[in-house]
Amino acid sequence: MRHIPEDELHAYLDQGLSRSQCVEIESHLAACPSCQAARDGIAALRDRTTALLSKLAPPRAFPPEFESLRRRAASEVSARRRREHRAAWAASLVAAVGLGWTASFLLRPHEPVGLPAAGQVATLPVSTRVAAPAQDRPARRDTATIQPSRRRAAVKAVAAKSAALPRVIPPPALELSSIDIPRSDVGFELDGMWRTMSWAGAQAEAGDQLPHIDGLPVVQVQVQTSEQGKQPLMVVAQQLASGEVIRTIEGPTSDVSHLLARRAMSDPMPTMTPGDSAPPDSAPSDTNHADRTMAMQRGDRMLVITGALPSDSLLAMIRRLNAEMRSK
Amino acid sequence: MTDELEQLYQTTYTAVVRFLYRKVWDAERAEDLAQEVFVRALTHRPEKPRAWVFAVAANLARDEARAAVRRKRHLTLLKADPVAQPTVEPAADVLVEHDERVASVQQALSTLTPRDREILLLWDAGLSYPEIATQTGLALGAVGTTLARARRRLVDAHDRQHTIEGNHAAHS
Repeated sequence: MRHIPEDELHAYLDQGLSRSQCVEIESHLAACPSCQAARDGIAALRDRTTALLSKLAPPRAFPPEFESLRRRAASEVSARRRREHRAAWAASLVAAVGLGWTASFLLRPHEPVGLPAAGQVATLPVSTRVAAPAQDRPARRDTATIQPSRRRAAVKAVAAKSAALPRVIPPPALELSSIDIPRSDVGFELDGMWRTMSWAGAQAEAGDQLPHIDGLPVVQVQVQTSEQGKQPLMVVAQQLASGEVIRTIEGPTSDVSHLLARRAMSDPMPTMTPGDSAPPDSAPSDTNHADRTMAMQRGDRMLVITGALPSDSLLAMIRRLNAEMRSK
Repeated sequence: MTDELEQLYQTTYTAVVRFLYRKVWDAERAEDLAQEVFVRALTHRPEKPRAWVFAVAANLARDEARAAVRRKRHLTLLKADPVAQPTVEPAADVLVEHDERVASVQQALSTLTPRDREILLLWDAGLSYPEIATQTGLALGAVGTTLARARRRLVDAHDRQHTIEGNHAAHS
């Protein structure tokens, strides 16, 4: 008859064995003095362990009322609901891209001050961007002949009215559009008041829908609440590690596009860098350091990121923004 | 409404705090984390709340330990910076706060492998063999083996320390 292994005696004393195993062990123990001694030794070891560990205890803990934890849980649940609400909104934006809604890259390259070519709209799908430069070039050539020395490095962007965006034919769901500012928008002033708010204040005002990229310091938050019932227009400025400031704008499409048009008019001429002074025809414009805008739109809402960064950086950011909002 | 979780809270709060304390070595932090665990339980309503509570506690303690490692690294960086050096206050040794007997048990516990330690602490917190097996991914049959080893190592390490200390005392 085999003796009981040590680990089984531990399990036996710890009540970690099945009923039938216990019966088996007990019948063996009854007839085996050496296993009895082993059992007693292990029982003593168990007690020692428990006694040693009991020294490692914090001072007596006073548990708070369970009711207070319940309240904490309730407030966390409602916070989560708000996040889910926001995520649903973000998901609709994401779905917009996936389902072939228009995601627009809005770009107005090298526009001299005060000389916008009225109403020009050129679109080029991402996949054929290189193959179809003809649509893109005339506007640039115009600007080059008009004022080569004052070529603006800044690439200004405006959102076209949604009607101007062509229906997307799959597969290229993502579409880049190069759009000039409609002349009628020059000097357009937004109605209403802009308020610069603290981050916390803006969150209280606008709920959890403040568009922003997690992990970047927020420089400024501006909110414009329009008439009752309409969602506010929000502009969040954040600073990148490089020192560049990007702005995330979210609001009704018409407001956002007006805002962009106005910005394009009023922004001071940015500093030129050697890279920027290269002729536009010799280098792809979107690798220069220039003020660009990446926008996504669905229905009457538009989400925009703008900043002096290459367009692929902005595209990456808008993707990150969406991924983050989706994950919340 | 008699709440299953409330009952669990009344019966196991102290055990959860103790379990966490033995990982983070800070009584207040252990209490904060324990409360966080029960708040999460209230929002998640797990099917097997007792095992769930300890699983979440273990995760929180692990996150805590990682954060501590990061802080330590940061301190090391600051120390390496000659300008920042004078402002760095090295964290007080946690062991100082305990009396020597406590420190010797703590020391003995630290000689165990992480897995052995985890299983010993879970057992001491009152979890059953099946609960321990589920939480750690260990086979049910291996729980006893692990506990046998962990207990022996803890006691051996503790006794060895005392022998060494006794010898030192005799020589000095």
